[in-house]
Amino acid sequence: MDGVFTQKGCEMIKSNYLVLFCAFLVVSSCGESTFQETGQKLRDQAFLSTYQPMVSENVVIVNANMFDGLGNEYKDFDILIRDGKIQEIGQNLVIDGANIIDAEGKWVTPGIIDIHSHMGVYPAPGVRTSSDGNEATAPVTAEVWAEHSVWTQDPQFVLALKGGITSFHVLPGSANLMGGRGTTFKNVPSNSIQAMKFPEAPHSLKMACGENPKRVYGSRRQSPSTRMGNMAGYRKAWIDAQEYYEDIKDGKDVKRDLKNDTLAGVLSGEITVQNHCYRADEMMMMIEMSKEFNYQIMTFHHAVEAYKVADALAENGICAAMWADWWGFKHEAYDMVPANIAIVDQARGGTGCAIVHSDDAVGIQHLNQEAAKAIAAGNQAGYNISQARAMKWITYNPAKAAGILDQTGTLEVGKDADVVLWSGNPFSVYSKAEKVFIDGALAFDREKPELNPVTDFELGILNPNNSRIES
Amino acid sequence: MRKFLLSLTILFSFSSFLKAELLITQANVHIGDGAAPFTADILIRDGIIQKIASNISPQSNWEVLEANGLNVTPGLISPTSNIGMVEINALDDTRDDESSLLKSGFSLFHAFNPNSTLIPWNRSNGVTGTISSPSGSAFPFWGMGSYFLLDASMKITGLKDVAMYGRLGSSSGSRAEDILMIESLLRLAASIDLENIEDELDDSLLATKLELQPEDILAIRRLISEELPFVLETNRAADILQAIRLKETYGLNLILESVEEAPLVLTELASANIPVIIDPMDNIPDSFDELASSLDLASILDKAGIVIMFSTQRSHNYHLMRQGAGNAVAYGMNYNHAIRGMTKAVADIFRIPNRGSIAVGNYADLVIWDGDPLEPSTLPKYVYINGKNMDLNTRATRLTERYSKETDKPRVYLH
Repeated sequence: MDGVFTQKGCEMIKSNYLVLFCAFLVVSSCGESTFQETGQKLRDQAFLSTYQPMVSENVVIVNANMFDGLGNEYKDFDILIRDGKIQEIGQNLVIDGANIIDAEGKWVTPGIIDIHSHMGVYPAPGVRTSSDGNEATAPVTAEVWAEHSVWTQDPQFVLALKGGITSFHVLPGSANLMGGRGTTFKNVPSNSIQAMKFPEAPHSLKMACGENPKRVYGSRRQSPSTRMGNMAGYRKAWIDAQEYYEDIKDGKDVKRDLKNDTLAGVLSGEITVQNHCYRADEMMMMIEMSKEFNYQIMTFHHAVEAYKVADALAENGICAAMWADWWGFKHEAYDMVPANIAIVDQARGGTGCAIVHSDDAVGIQHLNQEAAKAIAAGNQAGYNISQARAMKWITYNPAKAAGILDQTGTLEVGKDADVVLWSGNPFSVYSKAEKVFIDGALAFDREKPELNPVTDFELGILNPNNSRIES
Repeated sequence: MRKFLLSLTILFSFSSFLKAELLITQANVHIGDGAAPFTADILIRDGIIQKIASNISPQSNWEVLEANGLNVTPGLISPTSNIGMVEINALDDTRDDESSLLKSGFSLFHAFNPNSTLIPWNRSNGVTGTISSPSGSAFPFWGMGSYFLLDASMKITGLKDVAMYGRLGSSSGSRAEDILMIESLLRLAASIDLENIEDELDDSLLATKLELQPEDILAIRRLISEELPFVLETNRAADILQAIRLKETYGLNLILESVEEAPLVLTELASANIPVIIDPMDNIPDSFDELASSLDLASILDKAGIVIMFSTQRSHNYHLMRQGAGNAVAYGMNYNHAIRGMTKAVADIFRIPNRGSIAVGNYADLVIWDGDPLEPSTLPKYVYINGKNMDLNTRATRLTERYSKETDKPRVYLH
């Protein structure tokens, strides 16, 4: 059933309930999308998610303050987690057969989501032999999948978990124009990458603008060595992919091509586009190109200049994933403004889609602090942004960009119980994730280090009788 | 909003020339010495702190700023940075932090660019001084860092060559070779005849092989003869013990940077009386030298009585040592020690006189914050250098203003 269900086909029904339900139905129930047949060919049958939630107990967290990820703040609320899902949210819930956690005024949020991670593909330690994030051998390598590079022992997964990260999207690096597929994971390390894959999450295509591809290939006297070379490289690839896609739709007997499978998946809407792009003028070119070849850009990543074209992003339904304050390490990162995130968020009457991303194993542990800086900068620039609104930047919006908003990203009844209990207001530097639930299971508990995950790499490495770090 | 800020700026710039006294009242004063803050008024005259007391009565011609309980700290000093030396990391022609000729003798002092955009940016975030330092190289001595006041004056206020920077750890060869080289050069520098330095270098196989210049040996000599502070980046626990041995053998004024495995040799480090520079947020075991890396580092070192200063991993945002300090406190470091680590500790350890603490007789380099200075969401309301109220505008505020306005015109016309 997995194989015939296409994300795009179901999204066309425009009902969250049906989209969720669709996963369990045969293809005919999903609508008459012309993508159904092509979907069978394009969507890979291999490497599907085998993720199984950990065994969970039913839990009710009472007396909590909440940011629900939809922009709301609630004081003194309860949340009931049953069978791995959020079953009820409200005040004075009638509790029946669930463990009670008294939050005593602490804060509950959705699990934090990072739309830009290289955990696993650039694991720690950063040794040459497991640095597997860039297949920098040709400018278009849409055929490679980041998930096939992931080192499952990466200790960075667990560090991120301690920062409240319940899902993350792993991308190939930005050496290439089209670097390959990205994959979304549940933050439950396993010896099988498939067992970590977020069920039903779409793949992405990583694209990269600007300095990196032209530097990598230009230094080898290859194309692209300029930004115009970059543009020609993408367009050439799309022209080939269009032909491949048309042939498949026309029922021709086409030899399977991994590169064009990925690109045609973008054209059919099954695969999202996650596009590394710093500069405003280049984002505008990428938007024009997406119209030329009729695909949708989901997110511009590292969008340092997004504030310059925030209206255009909002009008075209494109998210911008940004750092709070990184700048200056290269020329295309020179025009950073700390209000970038706020300006994108507030564009076109607040219809902009702003995401705080990390691209960094330290940053992913503190996305709440990065959001806090962005709120302060936005308000200093004259906006009036609430903490409840800003919580969307690290929950709802990255879930939307990863194509997993129907399952997670907010505190809503029926969603996966990916939930964080914080020791205080999550935008304070002093607050820590105390308990992290993934699908209702307690994946991390700060008070019980002996129960927390320790990767194989960390076991007995400094002292045979200890783990790498003990808390 | 910006108009409001602008008018204040003009007023204060104006007044700082015409009026010699500034009184900051009812401030929550963090002296910077590691003690708890207290409420007091601060009187500044001609750029110097004159008096710190409760209820100082202002005279009619004094400028008065009512702090109303806001936190006031000394201006932050970064113990290592690229400020004034690097505009854009990936553009070599904007960089002056490396030398192809000199090694330990490299002094970057004369390269300082007071018009760098990094200066208003870091200053508007509370950093009033920095030690700009050379970037890393394969040689264990990278060269010397210099102190600069971030007042953006073309008349540069600084201290030349205040510390040596270097590294001990995994390298292309063996770290045993690096230690041997450090010791050989220390001995050579200590014994060299200054009258015949060029001849002696020519006679030294090591100096010849390394193509050392007289400046290189003279700088290493200062480590011994003047106890020039030596900032040595190192992480592996065994390397930290080697560094302690070097300090004790050669009488070095050693400061260790990074020290991610320090908890494994805590007793030895604490009894060696070596201050450290750390990034408390870097808990990634990035290499096999850093396996013990954790968020508890600052807390563990602080509780052992080790003086901690702060650095950040990222370029350009040296003010983010404040977020690092906040995380250090979140994991157990003493709050007042964290403030000290960004202020007085740096001034004391790098011998920057009359700065780094709110004390009578010191220059008035102060920051008045709109909240808890260790919260990343807190921003400076006012930054003073030499008692002068600094403009907090940056290139970023100009860009923000241009792009957050509704307009029918092309934005190139908005400025």
